Amino acid sequence: MDLIIRNGRIVDGTGLPAYQGDIGIRDGRIVSVGGRIPGTATEEIDAAGRVVAPGFIDPHTHFDVQLLWDGQARPALEHGITTVVPGNCSLSLAPLKVEHRPRLVGMFQQIEEMPDAAFDGAFEWTWESFADYLTALRSKLAVNVAPLAGHSVIRLWVMGDAANERAANADEIAGMQELLRQCLEAGAVGLSTSFVDVDERLQPVPSRYAHAEEIDALAAVLGEYGRMLQVVPEFYATDITLARVDQLAELSLKHQIPTTFSPLFDSAANPDNISRVMARVEEQMARGARVWPQVQTRPIDISFTFEVASLLFAGTPGWYRTMRLPRDEKIAALRDPERLARLLEEAEPGGNTDRFRKMRVRAVARREDDGLVGRSLGDIAAERDSTPARVMVDIALANDLDASFVATDLGHNDPARVGALLAHPMVHIGASDGGAHIQSFATYGDTGYLFSRFVRERHDLTLEAAVKKITADTARIWGIAGRGLLQPGFAADITVFDPDVIDRGDEVVAHDMPEAGMRYVRGSRGIYTVVVNGAVAWSAAAGGYTEARQGQVVTR
Amino acid sequence: MPAEPHDATPRIERALVAPGHDGSAELLLRIRYGDGSSDSVTLDAAAAERLLDQCGATALEQLVGQPWRRLLNVLEQSGD
Ligand SMILES: [Zn+2]
Repeated sequence: MDLIIRNGRIVDGTGLPAYQGDIGIRDGRIVSVGGRIPGTATEEIDAAGRVVAPGFIDPHTHFDVQLLWDGQARPALEHGITTVVPGNCSLSLAPLKVEHRPRLVGMFQQIEEMPDAAFDGAFEWTWESFADYLTALRSKLAVNVAPLAGHSVIRLWVMGDAANERAANADEIAGMQELLRQCLEAGAVGLSTSFVDVDERLQPVPSRYAHAEEIDALAAVLGEYGRMLQVVPEFYATDITLARVDQLAELSLKHQIPTTFSPLFDSAANPDNISRVMARVEEQMARGARVWPQVQTRPIDISFTFEVASLLFAGTPGWYRTMRLPRDEKIAALRDPERLARLLEEAEPGGNTDRFRKMRVRAVARREDDGLVGRSLGDIAAERDSTPARVMVDIALANDLDASFVATDLGHNDPARVGALLAHPMVHIGASDGGAHIQSFATYGDTGYLFSRFVRERHDLTLEAAVKKITADTARIWGIAGRGLLQPGFAADITVFDPDVIDRGDEVVAHDMPEAGMRYVRGSRGIYTVVVNGAVAWSAAAGGYTEARQGQVVTR
Repeated sequence: MPAEPHDATPRIERALVAPGHDGSAELLLRIRYGDGSSDSVTLDAAAAERLLDQCGATALEQLVGQPWRRLLNVLEQSGD
């Protein structure tokens, strides 16, 4: 055997109770599960006291670009994620004609906030077709990739500029069908489309110009392969989301395909959303349709700066008015002791600091303030014998307004409601958006947070149920064959972790994008070893990432 | 019994700040139509500012009851 993981607590992905045993691996596959394996292997890992689980699968990412220079999809891999699905939300890097590259870069920058450098020098564009994109990826991968083809780029290929202008005619629809067929033949696991996203000019992305017949025609091609349709619905409007659930259900039944929509999240601004959408999902699932809502584990953080008037201040008119002033007047207002005193009284009425105390400093321009990043305003206020709102103003002024702050837990943050939702058998845990929004917040560590918050702390799910949700369920929902379970014959994608420690780390600033571009990341806690196709790709004992590049493009 | 005068103009019924999925705050508006049906619209920070200006409002509560024509003007501007 190449690798034996001994004495672990095996949580095999089925949802059945954990049990003690060894796992044997040869040629990238699991050959033995449970029982004591005699003899020795080339490499052995002692997993006593730790959980041995299938590698986690992240079904909603935008790692498309990053994978070209970072086949480890950092930091996803160190969180135990062994398979990522890129190409969500109608955008993939292929199929793409040379002349359409600038258009796609603009769309990606809008959603991923990637600097130009990420596209200019960091990789070579060697492909137009989906098959050639996968070839460009293959040799670099440390994680497995189950790629979606994006509806917007398929549309761009076939219709050119008209993709952003109008509905398609019959010939164009036939052209898109043929192109999608080529993507699926090359290894795409499905098609993604969006009803809400915008490009860098804030215009609708091409997929939004499609009429229902076009989506139906593409779903028919998905039906030939039994592949997934992923959509971004109008998640902010329950009535429209319900109509999308119905539309997806009809497509699922007619073409016998799985469908998934993301995001679905809880918000105090729209408290009936979840119950209404889930009731409709249950109704459609009972008919035999496959309509999987993706729900994220992490609360939604909202960031803001003093440069623009964030709606976070709309509830405090004095602040909102001040934030809307021209830059110089704004600075003058904040420096004026009398006006500031009035603002502070509005922000912290009667000395109540609830509103700003838990907000954290996200980024600062001045090097000497670097130490403030990540700290709460309450914390800094205590240190400076000040108040959170005053400290926020001080930091903003000291940085010539070039400082940003984050209000944590503003949505999807009622643990009881989110916990119940995550445990729902018809909820697909996902929607991490890994690799996107990189300069706004960290999209990593949602799996660690699932275990720390909803398994360990709240008991909304058992350990076994949580593992199943992000391994076997994901593989089944997406039709990813031979992964997601610890079972002989299955790919040896394995995550070893401590169930008492596993968590997401703190959000920190990293300068690890091409040309030292910044992004927010989170490291992992409690993960010991991550095995991808039989090779140790990340190991706490070995100091982190290894040289292993055994990742595959996942095909049937 | 005399019939109540019927107001058929769609109006903003509720205005709330809600999280967008890209990490910024958005304004979630609920519109009530004359026939009793309703719909939701979200605006980003810039569009929300224009709407407040259009309505001469300084606080969100002042948006409630405003005719949706004002909102249409704002949405048309953001299409430029
Ligand atoms: Zn997305």
